[in-house]
Amino acid sequence: MTTSSENSPSRKAAGATPVVTYRDVIKRFGNVTVLTGVSMEVRKGEVVCLIGPSGSGKSTLLRCTNGLERIDGGEILLDGQLLPSDGKGLRLMRRRMGMVFQNFELFPHKTALDNVAVGPITVLGISRSDAEKRAMALLAKVGLSEKAENYPSQLSGGQQQRVAIARALAMEPEIMLFDEPTSALDPETVGEVLAVMKRLAEEGMTMLVVTHEMTFARRVSDWVVVMDKGAIIEQGPPKQIYDAPQVNRTKEFLSHLGWSG
Amino acid sequence: MKFDWLVAWRNLDVFVDGVKLTIFLAVATMTIAVPGGIVLAVMRMSGIRALAAIATAFIELFRNIPLILVIYMAYYVLPVMSGLSASPLVTGLIALSLNVSAYNGETFRAGIASIRKGQSEAAYALGMSPWQTFRIVVLPQAVKRVLPVLASTWISLFKDTSLVSVISVGELSYAATRVRAQTFRVLEVLTAMAAIYWVLGYPQAKLVDWINHRWGRAE
Repeated sequence: MTTSSENSPSRKAAGATPVVTYRDVIKRFGNVTVLTGVSMEVRKGEVVCLIGPSGSGKSTLLRCTNGLERIDGGEILLDGQLLPSDGKGLRLMRRRMGMVFQNFELFPHKTALDNVAVGPITVLGISRSDAEKRAMALLAKVGLSEKAENYPSQLSGGQQQRVAIARALAMEPEIMLFDEPTSALDPETVGEVLAVMKRLAEEGMTMLVVTHEMTFARRVSDWVVVMDKGAIIEQGPPKQIYDAPQVNRTKEFLSHLGWSG
Repeated sequence: MKFDWLVAWRNLDVFVDGVKLTIFLAVATMTIAVPGGIVLAVMRMSGIRALAAIATAFIELFRNIPLILVIYMAYYVLPVMSGLSASPLVTGLIALSLNVSAYNGETFRAGIASIRKGQSEAAYALGMSPWQTFRIVVLPQAVKRVLPVLASTWISLFKDTSLVSVISVGELSYAATRVRAQTFRVLEVLTAMAAIYWVLGYPQAKLVDWINHRWGRAE
């Protein structure tokens, strides 16, 4: 198996400190092993895209990162610190990682503003007025200042996902985890969400993105990880993965998506 | 046969006191049984086996024996077993609360279970504790979702308060029984009693219909 070395000099963030490190991560659901020993890094300021066929374990790996799924073997480190297994320790780690879900998962009984402010208020103990100020600034950042008082049901899918991004950013995370953020969207609203993500990337946010948006992965990511059947089959800079994939399975997967290089 | 329809009017003060007590019993019972139901639901869903077993036993016991039996047992058995004696009013309130808490427990359990897992995950991902997740994210949505069911329970409760008349709690039914015994005007008093329950209950039923219409729709 030809897998680019983790320390390939072609990696833009070569030498940068890893924010998240995965070492031999194993995850089972019952008798099914969905992650068969995954090792990789996400480095500071990097956008890493996780791609691969459905069922390859991408989302599971992402969900293991902030402990929504417990791993059965190996280890995951945030800034060199092992992900704790106790509830309190895990919560302290989670506030340093923002997560965006495929189905947005905004709180339907709260306005857009409250959705963004609730984390800082309840988890960080920030005063309501400060949290709302922060929330307004973030809503402006995702282009939704006028929707602050709207409830999620009054927003389009793309708008909801942008609020969800603002909600995650409100915790001022060190890394943002995106779990297929555009898969549940109407085609016409995919672009607005990707634009917000692209801007985040340009600002230097460290991002780990599970996606089927190949154009986004090609243009915005610094590093692409290809997974299949619970393992990493290839990783490298996007140019290499998309223009000259080393592994046949990668070629098959990309051609199946209609990617012509 | 001559009817004396004014018998109810002449005993108005007795009826009014009865109505007041009926309303008090219904309100007080629900005030206890809503948190009670939430506690039972949380216990049953806690994953802690002992707590779940206690809650399940409680719910299945009090849902499946007739309320009137609970009232009798609270009145005759509870003081003997516990050594404490309570007034009929408090005893009636306890019995009603046991029954309605059991129903509410199942109502809240269904409501909480209907909130999809992604909502809790979103809260956890922000760093919320299980308690914060429950209180801030899950419970408000669950309550909103079961509001129509709680409203129906309320309507049943309002009428079921009449059962505590068997232990001499002076609510509307008991008051009516007393007037009947004093005047021997059975038909008139029963009619008056029915009219009062209906006048009190009908707007509530309409309100429930409105709540169902307003909140009962799927998300």
